[in-house]
Amino acid sequence: MKQLTMNELFNKLNDLKTLFQFGQKIIPILQNLIDFMQDTIPLLENINRSIAESTSKIPKASNQISNVTSATELATTEILDLVDSISGKMYDMEAKIRTFIETENAKKEKLEKLKELVKDNPELSNFVQENFTLDVSVLEEILEFFPKLQNDAYSITLSLQVQDITSQQLAAVNHLIESVQENLTKLIEDFETTQLDELEGLAKNEVPEGATFDPNARYDKSGERQEAADEIINQVKDTGTQIDQSEIDKLFSK
Amino acid sequence: MSAPLKFLIVDDSVTMRRIVANTLKNLQYNDFVEAGDGKEALAKLQADPSLNFVITDWNMPVMTGLELTKAIREDPKLAKLPILMVTTRGVKEDIVEALQAKVNNYVIKPFTPQILKEKIDQILANLQ
Repeated sequence: MKQLTMNELFNKLNDLKTLFQFGQKIIPILQNLIDFMQDTIPLLENINRSIAESTSKIPKASNQISNVTSATELATTEILDLVDSISGKMYDMEAKIRTFIETENAKKEKLEKLKELVKDNPELSNFVQENFTLDVSVLEEILEFFPKLQNDAYSITLSLQVQDITSQQLAAVNHLIESVQENLTKLIEDFETTQLDELEGLAKNEVPEGATFDPNARYDKSGERQEAADEIINQVKDTGTQIDQSEIDKLFSK
Repeated sequence: MSAPLKFLIVDDSVTMRRIVANTLKNLQYNDFVEAGDGKEALAKLQADPSLNFVITDWNMPVMTGLELTKAIREDPKLAKLPILMVTTRGVKEDIVEALQAKVNNYVIKPFTPQILKEKIDQILANLQ
């Protein structure tokens, strides 16, 4: 029994020896690891500082985007004012030219009467013929331009829908960068207890319920999206209020 | 619909309200009022019974166009008002949701005057 205990003791000592030998081998590795970690700490602090700095700049970027939206809305309103003003003046000009043509045409009758009166006097007749001619054809040609000009002015107005669409796209980008800020700040908080004042009230990464923007807004004038929407509407009309999602999927997979 | 048309244009974008208004004028519809969100629109509808056609955007602050549509359909006095949704949202789920909320028709921005006229005419024809 005693012999067995001594054997066990030797075995344990051997195990201990092996452990020490292993320890001697592993100590340099651990030392290297500690050295590496010590070297890494300034690097991580740099990364942390850089993230914090970038994160603190995000609200500024977000504000700048909002300012761009406000500026474009203001500029668009000014353009709309100008287009309306130009359009109004064109209507006035058109009306005045029409009135002038009507007045000139009314004079034609009197001129014909005058020509009739002087027809026996060749000299006077020639004088009237040469100096009292009424020609409104140029003005009539000018009048033909007005509908096209009005149409062009209206096309400018319609094209300004791009402002609403881009402002929604910018709002979606704003939401995205605010979400990035939130995530970066969380990362920093995990790393150390850095607090950023701008954190309050940040949105989640998903588009919130009742968002005032459409993240998928597109300035697509092809009409294809409207056609797809119309097909769904017709589908609903045909089937009452029951909407078969698979049928809708088929329409959109075309 | 025998009464003359009086439109309520609902959009948070001043630009869009103006473009819709200009388009209506071009279509010879000169009677309209504007609202910047669904809540304001609902208040105007409740205060002015002569408003008989709603053109609304979807994404708006305070109350969205979809919420406005549901509120109109739930109000016995307003429930039958024609509603035309004019929105950037062209995803199929959105269109289905709008139809389920009982909008009368759906126009995707950017719209053309022809499309807007076509949809207004369709709604009016269906009401008769």
